[in-house]
Amino acid sequence: MRDIYDLIVIGGGPAGMAAALTAEECGVDRILIIERGERLGGILNQCTHSGFGAAYFGEEMTGTEFAERFRERMSDSGVEVITGTMVLSVSADRTVTVSNKSGCAELHTKAVVLATGCRERPISSLHVTGTRPSGVFEAGAAQKMLNLGGYDIGDDAVVLGSGDVGLVVARCLAQRGRRVIGVFEIRDVCGGSDKNRTECLDFYGIPLYFRHTVTRIHGEGRISGVTVKDLDSGAERYIGCGTLITSLGLVPERELIEPLEAEDGSLPEWIFTCGDARTVHDTVDAVAFEAEKTGAEAAEYITGGTDI
Amino acid sequence: MRTEYDATVIGAGLLGCFTARELVRYGLHTIVLEQREDVCTGISRANSAIVYTGCDTKPGTIKTEMCVRANRGFDTLCRELGVRFSRCGSLMICFGPCGLGVLEKKYAQGLENGVQGLRMIGPEETYDLEPNLAPGVRAALYAEGTGTVLPWELGCAAAENAAANGAEFRFCSRVLGISRREGGYTVSTDTENIRTRCVINCAGLFADEVQELLFAPSVRLFPKRGDYYVLDTKAEGFISHVISHEPEDKKKDGGFDKGGDKGLTLVPTVEGNILVGPSNMPTDSKRLGSTERDGFELLDRRISEVMPGLPMRHMIRSFSSLRPNPFQVELAGGEYVRNGKSISNFTIAEPAGDASFLSFIGIKTPGMTCAQELGRYAAEKAAAYLGAKEDPRFDPVRPAPVRTADLSVAERDALIKDRPDYGRIVCRCRGVSEGEMIDAIHSKPGAVTVDGIKRRTGAGGGRCQGGFCSQKVIELLARERRCLPEEIMKDGPGSYILTGGETDA
Ligand SMILES: Cc1cc2nc3c(=O)[nH]c(=O)nc-3n(C[C@H](O)[C@H](O)[C@H](O)COP(=O)(O)OP(=O)(O)OC[C@H]3O[C@@H](n4cnc5c(N)ncnc54)[C@H](O)[C@@H]3O)c2cc1C
Ligand SMILES: Cc1cc2nc3c(=O)[nH]c(=O)nc-3n(C[C@H](O)[C@H](O)[C@H](O)COP(=O)(O)OP(=O)(O)OC[C@H]3O[C@@H](n4cnc5c(N)ncnc54)[C@H](O)[C@@H]3O)c2cc1C
Repeated sequence: MRDIYDLIVIGGGPAGMAAALTAEECGVDRILIIERGERLGGILNQCTHSGFGAAYFGEEMTGTEFAERFRERMSDSGVEVITGTMVLSVSADRTVTVSNKSGCAELHTKAVVLATGCRERPISSLHVTGTRPSGVFEAGAAQKMLNLGGYDIGDDAVVLGSGDVGLVVARCLAQRGRRVIGVFEIRDVCGGSDKNRTECLDFYGIPLYFRHTVTRIHGEGRISGVTVKDLDSGAERYIGCGTLITSLGLVPERELIEPLEAEDGSLPEWIFTCGDARTVHDTVDAVAFEAEKTGAEAAEYITGGTDI
Repeated sequence: MRTEYDATVIGAGLLGCFTARELVRYGLHTIVLEQREDVCTGISRANSAIVYTGCDTKPGTIKTEMCVRANRGFDTLCRELGVRFSRCGSLMICFGPCGLGVLEKKYAQGLENGVQGLRMIGPEETYDLEPNLAPGVRAALYAEGTGTVLPWELGCAAAENAAANGAEFRFCSRVLGISRREGGYTVSTDTENIRTRCVINCAGLFADEVQELLFAPSVRLFPKRGDYYVLDTKAEGFISHVISHEPEDKKKDGGFDKGGDKGLTLVPTVEGNILVGPSNMPTDSKRLGSTERDGFELLDRRISEVMPGLPMRHMIRSFSSLRPNPFQVELAGGEYVRNGKSISNFTIAEPAGDASFLSFIGIKTPGMTCAQELGRYAAEKAAAYLGAKEDPRFDPVRPAPVRTADLSVAERDALIKDRPDYGRIVCRCRGVSEGEMIDAIHSKPGAVTVDGIKRRTGAGGGRCQGGFCSQKVIELLARERRCLPEEIMKDGPGSYILTGGETDA
């Protein structure tokens, strides 16, 4: 790792890799991808299910396979990659501060692509009453524990919110022989795709309740139940459960650049964003296409723009 | 294992931890028995985080004396214990004549109590200090000396310092019985009998029940619940002082049975969050930690009155606490019933008639501010009773733990060269490294649960509430404690996160 780059890409998921590869094709020389995880791939590394790549590669594959294809392209490229490294801050003088087990350093760059993905909204941010027991997981965290950690996270699950991640986790539990009591969605439409609704719920006989939400959590040590409210009748009922999976929506992870945003939300010209950090995408294919455009834009700025 | 002690402290909340620290100052062989797995899991994990000046309480009471003295010494205390403390000042505001009356009374009372840095200020200066307050503020009582500290950070630090000076901590040790013996007492937990010359009962919400293990009922606790919201550090800067509000429509007597409230308090914490609360709701349970709709509704109404622009979209968590309200009880028709009003002074009982048994029953606000004073009070009594002198070997300093997020790049880099685990960031929201977590696990008494790590390092207390780091935290705890990840709890008994084979059964 040197300390001066033309382009620093923060986040080594599909968006970061696609942006870096395109920027290189467009003639940018010194490119660095910084990834906090131990390997490139981002959220795809925990997506062992299929349904990725149809639009981009013209064939359907698992998330992990999609990531592998991009990793192969990365190793054929001249893009420098550093993993196990957290970006701590990005400052107005184009300094990127990083920390890893060999040290803490300031790197200088002409441009930054933010490709940090998104995070889930925790249930604690809602006005849900009751206790705060264990056994409550955000769907993404649950998926990681199940697929990457190889852990068991409990039985008799209620899923709150019908986003894709929640549906995929419901299926993942069902496939392991765990009982999924039902998916409760506050709106009157399924948050996830029709395909996921059919493949993850209908196929396993998991019911989906619209206009229902969880208003209260019960349990002393581990969760023992939830109060579910039917928004139409206003009726509340108790449902015993051993696990609660929440899929309440994804929020782009932009904290690194927020301090640099102007009042009107605009960013300095040397900062670019792509992937779920820009807006949450339904498919990784859309992420890859968008990130390639972002990579080209960054390249144009670096090669054609003013030198610093 | 030793089973004979000079002093036995029951409960490892703020009071138990500080009492233990003060007891070892006198070289007394001290043990702390705590029913839970860690320190500060009771009231001391959930309060308003304010270090009060002493203008809120009546002159001449022990509560006032302790509070004024404690406030003056708080910088020194926090420096000794390596605890973050911010003397941010406070504004108590009012919108009308009733509130103004209360403020004026507190101002006069504060002056009489010897509180320095108190001023009544008008609307203009108030809005200069806190521009986001609702329109219509009539006046404010400004108290320069008010500060804020995290209760669990303070409690953990006191416990570590007590332990470093020889106090023993026994967790998962619930006191079930106390009996007299020659020269003292036998205190029995589910696993052992401790012989002790003195007992200091710091059992928080259960201090009445612990005392009644041996003595007749005199004071009992009837809790009231306080609900709170926590806002993300994204709201940092929206307020810069502790703000409290004296409502116009307050029930005169505090309305214990009617659910009267105490207005709203907003606190800019040392970690950059804003704490909003507490409600003040009747409850018939001593079970801590459940939030309720009526509490949220009250908070929402108060927020709209005091600071309607408060960015509630940045709320990351809610929690609740219980106020241990003490009442004198008397026997009537074969039952002990409450007589009269809630006792407002600190109740420090000596049911045996001497300092061999001391109970803190119903130490509410400002119990955290006064924790060291209360601990000292108990230790002085015990030391006099046992004829102990101050031990010159006592070292009051507990080195501050490493917090990488507070260091410069160069400082961090130097640290990482020595200990690479300080370079690995595990909690993304608060920027807590693996090294800090390992330090928390190996401190004494150390973190054994995910919440124990959170109390000591802040990890998991940010905007994602542990969604990102909890798996890694579980794995670290398991590795360092040489157990299976499935054995790691979130906090109390039964709060397992990963399940082993048992769900197959
Ligand atoms: C459960 C689930 C199911 C899905 N199903 C499908 C599907 O069936 N089909 C489909 O096409 N799409 C699906 N998607 C969507 C798709 O996977 C995502 O939109 C895509 O992976 C987003 O890519 P990204 O690169 O923007 O973000 P991510 O993949 O999240 O990558 C962001 C990377 O940035 C890193 N990072 C973040 N902050 C920092 C920092 N400060 N320092 C260093 N590194 C950092 C992270 O570690 C991560 O590796 C699914 C997503 C999920 C979660
Ligand atoms: C809503 C609220 C807000 C407050 N705000 C402030 C503030 O802003 N500033 C301030 O100065 N003070 C404040 N206080 C007061 C302060 O928080 C308390 O005075 C202090 O935390 C009390 O600590 P404790 O050690 O007595 O209780 P706890 O922290 O509850 O500790 C008691 C311990 O005893 C243990 N225990 C109980 N029974 C047994 C048994 N049989 N065997 C073994 N162990 C047992 C429990 O598990 C627990 O750990 C507030 C209090 C409340 C309720």
